[in-house]
Amino acid sequence: METSLIKEELLAQQLQNAFENIVTEAVRKDTVFAYASKEQVSSILLYAKEKLGYKSLAHMSCIDWLESDEFELVYIIWSPETKLNLFVKTRIDRQNPEMENMDMIWRQLNTYQREIREMFGVEFPGFVGEKEFILEDWEDAPPMRRDFDTLEYVNDTFFEREGREDKQDVRERIAKRSGEEIPDFAKKYSRE
Amino acid sequence: MREKSTTLYLGPQHPGITGNMMVKLQLEGDTIVKATTHVGYLHRAFEKLIERRNWMQTTTILCRFCVPEPDPPEAAFALAVEQIEGREVPERGKYLRSLVLELARLQSFMLWYAGQSGSTGLYTVGQWSVGDRNYVLDLFEELTGGRIYHMYIWPGGVRRDIPEGFEDKVLRTMDYIEKRIDDYDRMMFDSAIFQKRAQGVGIITKEKAMEWGVVGAPLRGCGIGHDVRKDNPYDAYDKLDFEMGIFEGGDVWARARVRQFEIRQTISMIRQLIQNLPSGDYLNKMPNPMKWTIPAGSAYGKVESVRGEFGFHVVSDGSDKPRRVHARGPAYVHGVSLLEDVLIGQNLADVSFIMNSLGVCPPEIER
Amino acid sequence: MYNDKNAQTIVEYIQNFTRKNSLFMLAYGTGCGAIELPATLTSRYDAERLGVRGAATPRQADLLLITGYLSTKTLKRVIRVYEQMQDPKYVIGFGSCTINGGMYWDSYNTIKLLDKYIPVDVYINGCMPRPESVIAGFKELQSLIAAGKADGAAKYKENLEWYRENQKKVLKNWPLVEYNW
Repeated sequence: METSLIKEELLAQQLQNAFENIVTEAVRKDTVFAYASKEQVSSILLYAKEKLGYKSLAHMSCIDWLESDEFELVYIIWSPETKLNLFVKTRIDRQNPEMENMDMIWRQLNTYQREIREMFGVEFPGFVGEKEFILEDWEDAPPMRRDFDTLEYVNDTFFEREGREDKQDVRERIAKRSGEEIPDFAKKYSRE
Repeated sequence: MREKSTTLYLGPQHPGITGNMMVKLQLEGDTIVKATTHVGYLHRAFEKLIERRNWMQTTTILCRFCVPEPDPPEAAFALAVEQIEGREVPERGKYLRSLVLELARLQSFMLWYAGQSGSTGLYTVGQWSVGDRNYVLDLFEELTGGRIYHMYIWPGGVRRDIPEGFEDKVLRTMDYIEKRIDDYDRMMFDSAIFQKRAQGVGIITKEKAMEWGVVGAPLRGCGIGHDVRKDNPYDAYDKLDFEMGIFEGGDVWARARVRQFEIRQTISMIRQLIQNLPSGDYLNKMPNPMKWTIPAGSAYGKVESVRGEFGFHVVSDGSDKPRRVHARGPAYVHGVSLLEDVLIGQNLADVSFIMNSLGVCPPEIER
Repeated sequence: MYNDKNAQTIVEYIQNFTRKNSLFMLAYGTGCGAIELPATLTSRYDAERLGVRGAATPRQADLLLITGYLSTKTLKRVIRVYEQMQDPKYVIGFGSCTINGGMYWDSYNTIKLLDKYIPVDVYINGCMPRPESVIAGFKELQSLIAAGKADGAAKYKENLEWYRENQKKVLKNWPLVEYNW
């Protein structure tokens, strides 16, 4: 299924020529990755937007790489002319996560940054936006971090309906109530 | 007389709000000078839950991202996974996927008719279109087993083949609905109330549209023709003959015209899909779903839902569970930053009207 | 069941008869189950023939439908809305996630057991419940009202401390109104 990636290679080459120290990769059809350092991201995005016509921001995402103690930030932008998705990826320190505020480049980055600040605890210095976006009165660690255990939180906070832990065989109770017999082949699946 | 400034909280319990969200309005008289959206009432932590599920279990969560139109999230996720894995979809699978996506679009359009006209007080259209929508849901029920949530689209194809005689039922339903749409249009678009309410309200300018990240019908209502089905064709859309509805104006009226045009395109596409349905396999089967692993990598799969581009950024670390799945619904842009901008200068009575025309759907904002 | 007049006085019987046949449902879609309500209320299923119809504000409503999962942020508003509603008032838990958390059993933001926070008269199971089962739920509630057994609101007043204690476990920094009924 190897198809030619001419447009993709061209974009990768363009970015490679314009910036030093970035790694670009034409991954598959319609997709180009660019790995850059934290400081370069804003200039790459501006260059792609103004010079290459990548006018539309499709997505911004954050991934927690707990093993290597890093957050990965991904900006996905799309061009109406070439119809390619350009992924600009960068890694930031997990202990003191900070990223440049870029909501002046695209208005909707404001929303994404608010979410990532709340869910991962990544700070965007100089960013104006209400602190609370989705959660309210949240006192725990930012919930989308990998080290936040949601099941533990649930067990501490919420009630659980009885019957889930005691592992009773519901079929037997129903059989008793309705006066029916459980067939032999079904008995071997009984929990007792 | 000096106008007094008032703060008004619209929602979360308000019959006009499209779902469970809140808009805080700063009013001068009844003109809005500042709007702030508050979301998060429907946050279920899907993205956290997906990290705890394996790839197959994820399908049950995906359709619940967006309640009025549950199939685009499944399709976008499947596309992203197929990109990472390099899994091919059989031709019949592609057609069946497009068929389900278009049926979902049709029923969502019919729900939109109810919402858009209901917010101007034309309740008859809603009674008709939501009643007729049940016929589409019946088709879904026969095909997938569920009225609302289908879990039909899997990475690699679709879950099951169509039942016997299904094609005829689809075509019969389309004939019926096509006739009914003319009735809705007469009630809604020919109504002076709707025309006067819709024209010149909630304007998005052409220059700002791209910058604000507007997608879907609101973008095409500004005269900019972008549609994921045309730009980056997925599934069977490159083999279908359809047009984008592009209208100038950028107001509620233009967006309504786009949808009025596209619901007919949808019906024609469903007919084409049924007529050209190829035979063969419908699913490129994955290995044992409980041990199914996806190679490390990341991808962005996107489809055109009824409100605009629906995308999934999927990251895999090579294990049997997704590392990160981040959804980007059209309402994520429309419902927060865009709505705050568009509402300024509008009338208080038009808030739910504009929200309906932008397709603000809270469950996909907060997930 | 409601033919058994010995159990109720004639006044109660008439009261319950009228109450059960005019259930005004609060238009508050708290979760995804709200998508089946338009279908339930329009021509094919037509819940209005049972006397169920929408009401815009809590003061005018008799029936609160918790349509699906309830995030903690919504729970605050739901408690407020429920306490604003005037007697007689009934609650229907709609969907599996109100019963035991459903598929959100390990989600940090949704409550798992609705009846610990507000009294529930009838549960409708399913994800999501079909309009037929919603109507069956309405009928069940009507027969409970007719028998005088839908006494969730009275239970709430009696055991307000217990409910408040449960609510405070989830809702931090949130002023819960103290009532003295």
